[in-house]
Amino acid sequence: MQPTRRSVVLSSAAALAAGAAGLRPSFAAAEPFKIGWPVTLTGPGSAPGLSFDLGVRYAVDRLNAKGGAGGHRIELVTRDTQGDPTKAVNIVQELISSEKVSAIFGPTNSGEALAITPIMARFGVPNVHAGTIDSLIDPVKYPNAFRIAPAGKQWDAALRHYVLAVRKWKKVGILGDTTGYGTTAVSDSVAGFKKDGGEVVYSATIDQTQADVTPQLLSMRKAGAEAIVVWSVSSGLEARIMNTRAQLGWDSPILGHPTMGSNDVRKLLDKPSNFDKVYVVGFRSCTRDASGKLPARTQAFIDEVRGKMDLKRAILFLVLIGVDGIDLLAKAVAETGSTSRKAIIDYLNTVKDFPGLFGTYSFSPTDHDGYQTTEVVMCAADSLKDGALAQAPGYD
Amino acid sequence: MLGAIVASGLAMGAVYALVGIAYNVMFNASRAMSFTAGTVGMMGGVLGALFIGRFGLPVPLGLAATLAACGLFGVVTEIVAVRPVLKSLDQHLYVLSTLALALMATQFTAIEWSTEPQPFPRLLGGVGGVLDEKFWLPLAACAATIAGLEYLHHYTLVGRAFLAIAEDNYAARALGLPERNLRIAAFALASAIGGLAGFAAGELLLAYFANAQLLAFYGFVPVALGGIGNNRGTIVAGLLLGLLQQAANFIVGGVFASVAVFVVFAAVILIAPQGLLGGQRARRV
Repeated sequence: MQPTRRSVVLSSAAALAAGAAGLRPSFAAAEPFKIGWPVTLTGPGSAPGLSFDLGVRYAVDRLNAKGGAGGHRIELVTRDTQGDPTKAVNIVQELISSEKVSAIFGPTNSGEALAITPIMARFGVPNVHAGTIDSLIDPVKYPNAFRIAPAGKQWDAALRHYVLAVRKWKKVGILGDTTGYGTTAVSDSVAGFKKDGGEVVYSATIDQTQADVTPQLLSMRKAGAEAIVVWSVSSGLEARIMNTRAQLGWDSPILGHPTMGSNDVRKLLDKPSNFDKVYVVGFRSCTRDASGKLPARTQAFIDEVRGKMDLKRAILFLVLIGVDGIDLLAKAVAETGSTSRKAIIDYLNTVKDFPGLFGTYSFSPTDHDGYQTTEVVMCAADSLKDGALAQAPGYD
Repeated sequence: MLGAIVASGLAMGAVYALVGIAYNVMFNASRAMSFTAGTVGMMGGVLGALFIGRFGLPVPLGLAATLAACGLFGVVTEIVAVRPVLKSLDQHLYVLSTLALALMATQFTAIEWSTEPQPFPRLLGGVGGVLDEKFWLPLAACAATIAGLEYLHHYTLVGRAFLAIAEDNYAARALGLPERNLRIAAFALASAIGGLAGFAAGELLLAYFANAQLLAFYGFVPVALGGIGNNRGTIVAGLLLGLLQQAANFIVGGVFASVAVFVVFAAVILIAPQGLLGGQRARRV
């Protein structure tokens, strides 16, 4: 069942009740470590937020069961931004000024991140996030912001490498939605392909509610596109592109955002075969190898949460990032013994090879992109199992 | 290429026209513009998917249940959001009351149904391409609605009574027509028409709560363009709007498509403020 506001509220109430019933360990008199969690749980584009939220709540519950962060009980202050940057701005101001959180994990939507990152910087609130837009990380402008996911340029680079070097497709068409994320991602992707010698024969942004995308796909096919690149988190738009490609009898591959491999897209397909030749950005830490096996750390996590967490509906790598974000902030408090905002930022600037589930993170005062690996790979969308995909064909 | 643009343009245009007719029928009965028209359009898609896709009802039964539920919502709209503010019509409080009801219904759908688009079942099957049912079903629904309204208005007593209260509800009441009951019936009929729009467009728009806003917005444009209360003008303007929108999607794309549509809208309103087929209305002074 898809999580709804009601289920989120009910599960939160259940967690509180369990805590009140004495099922949690007792904490010292230390003040709680309050983490703000602005997340898109409802509305268009909520699919990533729901997956992040699974990981975040799992990490908070697990850490509190073991004594919290250095004796400080972790208190998660969750707010649903509904994917609306205006709401996100109000929510973050409330988290900082009224709730007086020590740190913020999130948001989960790039449009919101663009709006609220300067606010968090102005108040010096440590912020760990997984936003993909490159400009969200700038240690001079935003000395409080740390990224634990690949930047958009790394997604782009991995996709371009697969298209141009692995599969030798030269002519591409690039589509995105009309959100802040979509328009930025399309322009970055167009520039990247041109720089690497690819030929962008068509590019466009499409409103997420556009009922029929036939005009765009016909134009793209007429222009001779050998591959269709899609940057969007809208399951409706992604499914329409796949269905229209099939209706046109066109078999050019579709490549792009990880949400294209989600169940929300799968159930909107006219037929399962419309998922053929759809390849999404993925990561080695949650991608099955040729023998069908996941990395040991990831498999251990899946085994632990099996039966407790609905991974069938989730995007595994987002769940893992959610876990890592909370673990990293808790580690900062545990190591410094303080919940002060400055102490957390100072600690994050010294993190070296922090072993998370999704990746191994390192920061320095001049580099706040923690996920510096090049282990970004393309995966086959039709291979989803336990929230993980298999590597796309063509790699050595 | 042209065929695809025309097919999807006419289909979306028919949906906008039907939502516009829903606006008109409610307006003619009450002189209040009810912004629940888009919401019943959304409900048509969601309830169709629920009754046929999830409950497994046969298509005719699913359609009947969907229209009945939407009609009931229309009755609730009249009682809750329109009737209490009719006495102060000149203050336009219906804008707030109907918008509030529309927002509540939309949010309720998001919470109880899903915040992500859900599939709408294939109704008849058959060929794909530009002759696919998802393109012609909205047009067929539009044609059936036009025929039905023409029959109602010209060949039935109730239809003539609708026309009478639309023309002058004071005079109609003086003649003994049950204005309140006719208004309730008109809201039920309008909401069923809006529901039919969403049902017929289910395969195009999917069963998605956010369609309410889209349909409320684009459904109002043909009303303004065609002349408020004028169904013929609304149909012509709706179909043109659909074609223009799809052509703009193809030619300029993205956010510029919406800009192009509203530039044309603004231009038409500037040239003909009463709408393309709307006449000057006498105003009581």
